[in-house]
Amino acid sequence: MTNEVVAEFREFKKSFGTKVVHKGVSFALHKGECLGLLGGSGQGKSVILRSLIGLEKPDSGQVLIDGEDIVPMTEDQLISIRKKVAYVFQNGALFDSMSVYENLAYPLRAHTRMGEDEIRERVISQLAEFGLQGNELLSPADLSGGMQKRVGLARSIIMQPKIVLYDEPTAGLDPYNTIRIQEMILGLKERGVSAIFVTHDMPSAFAVCDRIALLLEGRIQAVGTREQLESQPNSKLTRFVKGLEV
Amino acid sequence: MIADFAITLGERILIFLRSLGEIGLLFRKVIKEIPDRPLHLRLTVEQIYHIGIKSLGIVFVTAFSTGMVMALQFGLGLEKFGGKLYVPKIVSLSIVREIAPVFCSLMLAARVGAGIASELGSMTVTQQIDAIRALGTSPIKRVVIPRILASIISVPLLVALGNLLGILGAMVVSVSELGLDPMFFYQKILTTLVVTDFLAGLFKCFVFSFFISVTACYFGLNVKGGTQGVGSATRGSVVTSSILILVGDFFLTKLIFIVVGT
Repeated sequence: MTNEVVAEFREFKKSFGTKVVHKGVSFALHKGECLGLLGGSGQGKSVILRSLIGLEKPDSGQVLIDGEDIVPMTEDQLISIRKKVAYVFQNGALFDSMSVYENLAYPLRAHTRMGEDEIRERVISQLAEFGLQGNELLSPADLSGGMQKRVGLARSIIMQPKIVLYDEPTAGLDPYNTIRIQEMILGLKERGVSAIFVTHDMPSAFAVCDRIALLLEGRIQAVGTREQLESQPNSKLTRFVKGLEV
Repeated sequence: MIADFAITLGERILIFLRSLGEIGLLFRKVIKEIPDRPLHLRLTVEQIYHIGIKSLGIVFVTAFSTGMVMALQFGLGLEKFGGKLYVPKIVSLSIVREIAPVFCSLMLAARVGAGIASELGSMTVTQQIDAIRALGTSPIKRVVIPRILASIISVPLLVALGNLLGILGAMVVSVSELGLDPMFFYQKILTTLVVTDFLAGLFKCFVFSFFISVTACYFGLNVKGGTQGVGSATRGSVVTSSILILVGDFFLTKLIFIVVGT
C-alpha cells in the first residue's frame, strides 16, 4: 500500500426523493489498499460503490478516479473509467442468456482486439485460477450461489482493473466459499489492486481490509486500521463492529 | 370524491405523458447508437427468431379468423341488399389497409412487447443491465437495438403474411358460407387492391413496430420494485404500445390519405 490516492470522494451528497442518504461523504482510497466500508442497512454503501463507476450520480460533490472527476462524464467517457474500475455485484449479476465461458469472454470481446484463441486461453486460465475449471459450458442458473459469485469476480477482473469494488461478496456464503473469496481478494491485493469492500461480514473485513471506514447518518464517521480499532474500545467504529449501539 | 377522481386522473395522464417523453428520449439514444460498432448481428438474428418466427402462430390465428369473421359479417349484412358480391372488395381493402396491420400489431404488442419488457425487467432487477454498463458496454447497443431491429424487420413481414392469411380466411368463408365462386373472389381482389394499399399497411406496421419495441424496452429498463415491478412494467408496456398503435393508426391513416390521395 502506498500514499498515492487512486479514488476519492469529496463532500458527496445524494438524496432519493425526500430522503437524504449522503450528507457529505469524504474519504480516499490509496494504491494497493483494501478499504472496508461498513454501515447499517440503507446507509447507502452500495450507492457509494455504484457512484465510483458512474452508475449513480451525486446531487453534489466530486468522485475522483486517478484525480479525474467522473461526475460530469457521459456514458461514453465513463467507458475508460469502467475498464480500470471493476464492480463485483452482490449476486454476481451474470448474464443468464450466456454460458460461464461467454460471460467471461464478454468484456474481452468488447474491449480488446484479442482473437478467439487468445480469448479462450485467457478465459480458461482465469476460470482455473478461481477453481472453476470444467464449468465453462454451464449456464449461470446451473451454478451454486458461491460459484456464481466467483464467476462474477472472475469476469469483473478479467480486464485486469486497477480498482475493484466488492459489494458484499461473501454475503450468504458457506465458510468454504467465504474463505475462497477472501483468498481471491487477498491474491488481487498482492498484485497491487486497490479495493473497496462493502460488507456486514466482520471476519472477512478483518481478513482482507487494511483500513475500515464506518458510514453512518450520511457521513464517514470513522476510519481506522484493525490495530486502531482494538486500541479504541469506545470509538464509534469499534462499537459498531462489536454490535453495540453507536 | 369527484376532486379526488380528477386528481388521480390528472396524475395518471401526467405519468403517461412523462412515459411518452422518456420513450422518445430512449428512441433518440437508439438512433444515435445504431451506426456505432459492433453491430451485434448474431443477437439481432436471435431476436428475429424469437420475435418473428415464434409469432407466426399467433399471426396466423389472428389474421385468418379475422378474415373469416369479416367475410361472414359483411356477407350476411349485405346479402339483404343484394350486395354480397361486394364482399371481396370491402373485405380485402379493410384487411390490407387496416385490420391486418392493426390487429396483428396489437397481438404482437401483447406477445412480443410483454416478452421484451419482462425479459429486460428481469435483467434490470438482477442487475444484469448494471453489469453491462459496469463492464464498459452499452445496454442500448447490446440489448435494446437488436430487439428494435428485429421488430422492424419481423413485424412488417408478419403483417404481410397476415394480409394473405386474412384474405384467404375471407375467401374460405365467402366460398363455403356465402356461395361465392373462388375465381370471382380472386379476380375481384386482383382488380381492387393496388400496390399502394399494401405499402400503406406495411408503412403503418413499420411505425407500429417502433411503438411496440421501444415502449417495451423503455418499460423493461425502468423497472422498479423487484419482481412486482416486472409485472407492472409488462402491463405498462402492453397498455402503452396498444394505445400508441390505436391512436397512431388514425394519424397515420390521415397522413397516408394526404400523401397518396386515395
